[in-house]
Amino acid sequence: MLEDDVAAFLSGNVMIIAATRDAAMRAHVGRGCGADFDPDVGDLTLLASSTQWPAFHANARSGAPIAMTVCQPDTYKCLQLKGQIIDVHEATEAQKARGQRYLDAMLAIMADLGVSRLQLSTVFSNADLVAIRFWPVDLFIQTPGPEAGERVRREP
Amino acid sequence: MTRVPLEAIRDSFEGIMPSVIATTDASGIPNLSYLSHVHYIDGDHVALSNQFFSKTAANVQATGQATVVVLDGRTGLQHVLDLTFESSAQSGPIFERISAQLDVMASLQGKSHMLKLRAVDLYRVEDCRRIDPIAPLEEPPPKAVANRDLLVEAAAVTGELTRITDAEVLLDRSLELLDERFGLRHAMILLADGEGRKLTTVASRGYPHYGFGAEIAFGDGIVGIAAERCLTLRIADMRRGQRYVSAVAMASGLAREAIPLPAIAEPQCQMAVPLVAGGRLSGVIFAESEESFAFSHADEAALEIVARQLAASLALFELTDAVGETGARGAAASGAAVDAEPAFSFQFFPRDGGVFIDNDYVIRGVPGRLLHHFVRCYVETGRCDFSNREIRRDRAFNLPDFKDNLETRLILLRRRLEERGGPVRLLRPERGQIRLVIEGVPEIKVVEA
Repeated sequence: MLEDDVAAFLSGNVMIIAATRDAAMRAHVGRGCGADFDPDVGDLTLLASSTQWPAFHANARSGAPIAMTVCQPDTYKCLQLKGQIIDVHEATEAQKARGQRYLDAMLAIMADLGVSRLQLSTVFSNADLVAIRFWPVDLFIQTPGPEAGERVRREP
Repeated sequence: MTRVPLEAIRDSFEGIMPSVIATTDASGIPNLSYLSHVHYIDGDHVALSNQFFSKTAANVQATGQATVVVLDGRTGLQHVLDLTFESSAQSGPIFERISAQLDVMASLQGKSHMLKLRAVDLYRVEDCRRIDPIAPLEEPPPKAVANRDLLVEAAAVTGELTRITDAEVLLDRSLELLDERFGLRHAMILLADGEGRKLTTVASRGYPHYGFGAEIAFGDGIVGIAAERCLTLRIADMRRGQRYVSAVAMASGLAREAIPLPAIAEPQCQMAVPLVAGGRLSGVIFAESEESFAFSHADEAALEIVARQLAASLALFELTDAVGETGARGAAASGAAVDAEPAFSFQFFPRDGGVFIDNDYVIRGVPGRLLHHFVRCYVETGRCDFSNREIRRDRAFNLPDFKDNLETRLILLRRRLEERGGPVRLLRPERGQIRLVIEGVPEIKVVEA
């Protein structure tokens, strides 16, 4: 289980990047369009565009490892979660709406920070949205500085 | 898919938007990290600074590969780079360049200990692919408005500079041309002392005041580090500095002698290029802008070309001046009617060549020693005219033969006195000649401190 504050942080208005890997152990990057933690089940759902990030999506399969980094754009506070994918499916209508809300909120926040829509033109994509469900196994602090990379907790 | 040439995406390496680096460990677990800079090395290589991302480093050691996503902050386009690790360096030219850049940033942020570069990792770029926008929020701008061809502009600038036959014209015209041809509106040229200790402003353009004589110590800020390490440096975005220490503040460490450096209120982008000819550093040319990312790698290259021409011309002037100058005419005193004029105090500090007029700092170093020499001769003999040749012969000034930058030091001294507005001025009646003009009666006091 994730602590409440961690769950709230990653479900909030944070930049999301994620990585899967292929058989040759090369990592493939995708950018997220919202994430949520389900406290009842204990799993995480990451929303991402399957067509904007085809290689990332192609390697997001049940049982495959995944890493996800969430970062607060104004404070650089950053966490990395690692886990194992449970399943990947097309986003539901509710998830698509969630993706849209995330996108709108992030564009507003980034605009306040001086980052334009054009600069983020391909960063936030909700085209052909998929939901990637995974068990969080490892949690690391990733905020730049001496603590970066420090493991916060690990599931037994 | 055809590989995108790295040269085509160099704007993505400027750090406008952070890059992403992904690796896997030996068991295949991915890891992600943000990265502020990807350093272009050549068409097949990039370098990454190895500072904080220890997990990334461990993974690269285990697997030898990394994936980087870069984002062009001007178009919003992204590219993926498949990288294979080649080598790690803790010294050498690439390390020195990246290390110097980090040191400049550290001096801006006031936390040099945290940003110390440990190593630079060199990667071969196996592939570079464009990430095609599926549903872009905004269409990328049509192929950027044909940029001026900086190579053609640089050829025009150096072409004009080679025709100039006077060092002072050369200094001013260089800055004008940088403005006209490259849009570098705020720029200055600083002259290095012969001892590797400080740089002094000798020409400036685009500032509220000229600041002739204002100093920066070697190793201080972007200008001082560029001089100390003989490296071109460019800071694309100073907003990243949490605590901006302006060049003015750095100079203020020089206490009462400080002449304020020419400065703009909020510089966001700066570059400094050492002036080197024949392997010898003669100074630094510096440009800045209020706009982040105003200067690209191409502007940097253009400034380097101009800087090298400038340095070569200055060195040539010094040589021809030293070899071909006319002798001193030993003109008699022109300072008549001395009696009626008011006295002023002229303090000289032999220790550092410092000169104070009426308790105000004027200049120090070789230009200060020269000024003391002129004024003392005037007081003792009434003489007003001097020549470059006699100065070169006088060992008291410690000028190394043919490498003395005498001409530029005299320009600096003359400009400093001019900006100060009397009572002492220098004129150059003709090449290789100096005329002292004094209003009033100098009371020289030598202060042995």
